[in-house]
Amino acid sequence: MGFELREIHKHFGAVRANDGVNLSVASGELHGLLGENGAGKSTLMKVLSGFHQKTSGEILVEGEPVELRTPADAMQHGIGMLHQDPLVFLPFTVLDNFIIGSPGPERVNRREAARELATLAERFGFNFDPDTPTRRLTVGERQQLEILRLLWLGARVLILDEPTTGISAPQRIKLFATLRELAADGMSVVFVSHKLEEVEELCERVTIIRAGAVVGERDLPCPAAELVELMFGGEVEVGERPIVGLGPPRLVVSGLGVQDRLASVEDFDLEVAEGEVIGLAGLEGSGQRIVLDALSGLRRAQTGTIQAGGRDLTKTGYRGYLAAGVQFLPAGRLEEGLVAGLTLTEHFVLAARSDSFRIDWDSAREEAGRDIVDHFIKGTPESTAESLSGGNQQRLLLAMLQDNLSVLLMEHPTRGLDIESAAWVWEQLLLRREDGTAIVFASADLDELLEYSDRILVFFNGSVLAEVNARTSSVDELGHLIGGKVSR
Amino acid sequence: MSTTKVSRVLLVFVAFALIAAACGDSEPVDAEGFKFGMILVGPQNDHGWSQAHYEAGQYVAELTGAEMIVQDKVNPSDLPEKTVDQVAADLIALGAELVFATSDDMKDGILLAAEQNPDVPMIWSSGDSAWEDGKAFAGLDNLGNVMGKMEFGKMIAGCAAGLTTQTGSIGYVGPLTNDETQRLVNSAYLGAKYCWETYREETTPLDFAVTWIGFWFNIPGFTLDPTQVSNEFLDSGADVLISGIDTTEALVEAGKRASEGEAVWSVPYDFEGACAEAPDICLGTPYFNWGPAYLEIVNSVVNGDFKAEWQWNGPDWDNLTDNTKTALGWVSGDGLSADASADLDDFIAGLGSGDINLFTGPLNYQDGSVYLADGEEATDFQIWYTEQLLEGITGESASGG
Amino acid sequence: MNFADLWKRSRTGVFAVAMALVVGILLLLVAGANPFEALGVIIDGSLGSTARFGDTLMVWAPLVLAAAGLLITFAAGLWNIGVEGQIVFGAIAASLVAREVSGPTWLIVTLALLAGFAGGGFWAFLAGLLRTYGKVNEIFGGLGLFFVAQALAVYLVLGPWKRPGVASTSGTEPFPRESWLPTLGSTRLSWVAVLVAVIAVLVVFYLLRGTRFGLRLKAVGKNMRSAFLLGIPTGRYMLAAFALGGGLAGLAGAVQATGFHHKLVPSISGGYGFLAILVAMLAGYAARWIAPIAFVFAMLAVGSTLLPLKLGLDSSVGGVLQGVLVLFTILAQGWQARRQNRSDGVAAGPPEPPIVPGEVG
Repeated sequence: MGFELREIHKHFGAVRANDGVNLSVASGELHGLLGENGAGKSTLMKVLSGFHQKTSGEILVEGEPVELRTPADAMQHGIGMLHQDPLVFLPFTVLDNFIIGSPGPERVNRREAARELATLAERFGFNFDPDTPTRRLTVGERQQLEILRLLWLGARVLILDEPTTGISAPQRIKLFATLRELAADGMSVVFVSHKLEEVEELCERVTIIRAGAVVGERDLPCPAAELVELMFGGEVEVGERPIVGLGPPRLVVSGLGVQDRLASVEDFDLEVAEGEVIGLAGLEGSGQRIVLDALSGLRRAQTGTIQAGGRDLTKTGYRGYLAAGVQFLPAGRLEEGLVAGLTLTEHFVLAARSDSFRIDWDSAREEAGRDIVDHFIKGTPESTAESLSGGNQQRLLLAMLQDNLSVLLMEHPTRGLDIESAAWVWEQLLLRREDGTAIVFASADLDELLEYSDRILVFFNGSVLAEVNARTSSVDELGHLIGGKVSR
Repeated sequence: MSTTKVSRVLLVFVAFALIAAACGDSEPVDAEGFKFGMILVGPQNDHGWSQAHYEAGQYVAELTGAEMIVQDKVNPSDLPEKTVDQVAADLIALGAELVFATSDDMKDGILLAAEQNPDVPMIWSSGDSAWEDGKAFAGLDNLGNVMGKMEFGKMIAGCAAGLTTQTGSIGYVGPLTNDETQRLVNSAYLGAKYCWETYREETTPLDFAVTWIGFWFNIPGFTLDPTQVSNEFLDSGADVLISGIDTTEALVEAGKRASEGEAVWSVPYDFEGACAEAPDICLGTPYFNWGPAYLEIVNSVVNGDFKAEWQWNGPDWDNLTDNTKTALGWVSGDGLSADASADLDDFIAGLGSGDINLFTGPLNYQDGSVYLADGEEATDFQIWYTEQLLEGITGESASGG
Repeated sequence: MNFADLWKRSRTGVFAVAMALVVGILLLLVAGANPFEALGVIIDGSLGSTARFGDTLMVWAPLVLAAAGLLITFAAGLWNIGVEGQIVFGAIAASLVAREVSGPTWLIVTLALLAGFAGGGFWAFLAGLLRTYGKVNEIFGGLGLFFVAQALAVYLVLGPWKRPGVASTSGTEPFPRESWLPTLGSTRLSWVAVLVAVIAVLVVFYLLRGTRFGLRLKAVGKNMRSAFLLGIPTGRYMLAAFALGGGLAGLAGAVQATGFHHKLVPSISGGYGFLAILVAMLAGYAARWIAPIAFVFAMLAVGSTLLPLKLGLDSSVGGVLQGVLVLFTILAQGWQARRQNRSDGVAAGPPEPPIVPGEVG
């Protein structure tokens, strides 16, 4: 089943996530949607699948204009989306998850549904026990379940948003085979990715999106360099950076053991020198986040010691780390950093470590105005945090950081940012590093890791699989390490 | 309720007949245009204490042509915005020239109101603020008291229970503890004991227990639940429940048990028609009849000769259901056997003639102290200010323990 | 702010009041009353004379105190449903002073009010400890403590503080006159109660608008995680919010005991805590709206007690009118949130519960 998007605009406040996108996919086509993180791919697909409502534009399914207000609307028109994190209810069983989205108030015939699940699974060579709780399934298996569910609900257009992020290589091969088979049956498949190789491997045609707009459409195969240039607006050169002289150790971690419900890290050692940048690579949930939590005092270390700036912080709480100049910027800017509903002025007042009881709002506003200008934030002292675009939120967070930090910990520092913002963020971070701040950051963006780190620690299943020198490593090597392969 | 309506119409006729005969000092005046206020603690249709006052007011209004202004549910839970003195002020502002505050609990408010409105006659029913020889004489010229000698009603109720019980165990569902309620429990106990020993010639001591719920009616969260209290009594072997509260839970619960085949009975309280909820096991009900006293008071105010008096009115022994005369009544219920009924009539006659005076010593309080010495007959003062339950009753006294 | 802005901001409220009026009129018609006559009775009954105006203010004062306290806990993102219990405990503490301390009125009254503040604050602090250390949601902890406070009041009234020879839930013996809040002339209006309420609103207004404490509290309320990451000791701030908010509720209890009932009654709170939650919600959690909205509620409460006397209506009509007003305000807020969501392009879901104060101050 073919569909067409015409002049789709999707604005979030001042942010234009999609700015006049045209896209046409024929029945039976395997279509790639390529673009860097934050280019607007996911937003476009959420518009197509009814999660977001478009600001303007037109959606045609089989040549007929349609209005998709909710995911259920989209499903009625045969459009189903497989999200980056499959939308399954973990405590429920496989069969419950399979049934859960079925429309209509009438009672579901569980036995029949189980039979159909079995039939579908058999057809694609999947293997499910309908009574297993889904939490026991791997991410790849959850994806498979979700695909079967969408098929059962009558999907004729299948959208997959970065589906290979959390799955193993064999699962990816199986996924691609399934998608090819579906396309052969007339299913339109939209494969959203920022991974060039995968799009090249799977798709027949690719649309490249940059900064919310379509910058090109190509039949595949097509020279990779051409696609990269479209994606980034110029070929990236990796490996050139100023070499900063590294000073004495700022952060010394030894024998760190820390765990949460999902991951556990044991016996983690790390020494970060003044001005050094350490990248943490790995699949989501491999242990990077809990290490960052431990290093910032948010999570208590079960074993080991943490020293920063020569002080032993192991027994201290988060505020002790903060006082010692150790600060952490998690990835969720509006969840763990900014306060939605408060203005920029209020944020600056909160960040200023003043103890005066009264607030002089006039001078606070003035100061905020200066900070806003200094940090190129698109907003006014009265703007609320949530009204800012992601890039401006990140600028605000950086503007709120203490001066003279000893250690700066970050998680996905440029996720969702446009190129300009990302470059600015790193400019700021590198300035800090020149002041001697040690930086440890986790990222899923291999280019970013390679470009800005001195060393990269690759996490796999809660331990450091390898430490590589960012100057001599490559996207390829990192990619394999992240997948758990030590040597090629 | 239709029978009571009919009886009320009849009463009016009887009343007019009496007026024609120019008998008694409660001859109704023509009070057209006169307004009196009535402050009730509970709902005006509670089938109990508050309704009895409300109907007395209606009775007066019908006979005299005066207008009654009623504010019901005046208690801190139902009406948190106003205290009794504020309500009295409202009623006076609406033209009331006489205010009835009809609950023991309204003491503080009505004293304040009487003080603030010295020109408006007021009545605090069940109180003692106008009793010169009492303990709490307030000396307010505009505040009188009215009360019925319910101790007789309770003696009759207790006798009916004593004549009926098979297990020799009687439960009394009490409201809160004060002089009045202890007086009434003691009366019921004395009546039950007398009839148990005299008519049934039982020698085993009667088991008589009281549980106080904490207020005149159930306020969830503030009081014990009378339904639960009733069932606990029945579970522990009591087969007759006497109610001392404004509502009918004891009768209703006993009725439920009876319909399941248990041999249990109950004596409700406060309202002439109270037996209607479970007539078959109802032994009868003592009730207040405020009409005659209130009529007299309205008359005196209209005539300009109101005096702040403390009235403690007794029953009309000739006819305990003559609502034009008696201050308290007794109607026997269907649950009373013919034998018991005869004994009860004998008992009532004895009370009326004065042959039986149960408040005669020797009687001890619960803590063993002497209430009445051997042969001593209680004075009004001793009866009114009952400090404790009597020896022989299981239950808590206000000043005991 | 120009007129269009003003309209945009206030139209929800205007709409809610208009709808509530329409439905209220319909209800009165159904109840067989002339709505305008009923409205007249309510207005006359609450404002018609100096005494009635005083009666209304005496309901207004505790309502404002409790609502002002709730603004603090709402700012911290806490649903302090236990406010009723804090009123009761404050009243108990004030009663203790009023019964036991003798001396000049100014001394007893000052001590009683302080005791009320401390008592209410302590009771809320317990709910706060349960929340921050026991991980007990403040709604359940607060309700539980409310029942405990209630039971304590009943126990005191029936037990240690009972009237001589009497044990009735109708209350303790009236306090000595020196312990009563001073009144204006012969009215029942206590200028102390009104003054305390006015000061409370001003203090809360200033705290939430002009101080670092208030701003941090708001940050905690809107996003505890971010607030914590910003270095705010969130637990301590929540406890402080509980103590302060509960303290104001306790003052309401002290006013009820020493200024209104002049004794301790088990239902001393008069339900004003729950009513204050509605006042705070209706005010959009803004301190400047607390006083007028509480006044409307007080007018409805006091004025409608005359409905049964003058029009033969049930006195619960006033409560029904209050309920209608609240219902439509919440509905209107919901509609507004929904409209905003739509214009933001998010697929329409249920409106956010109005936990997070919009604009305080």
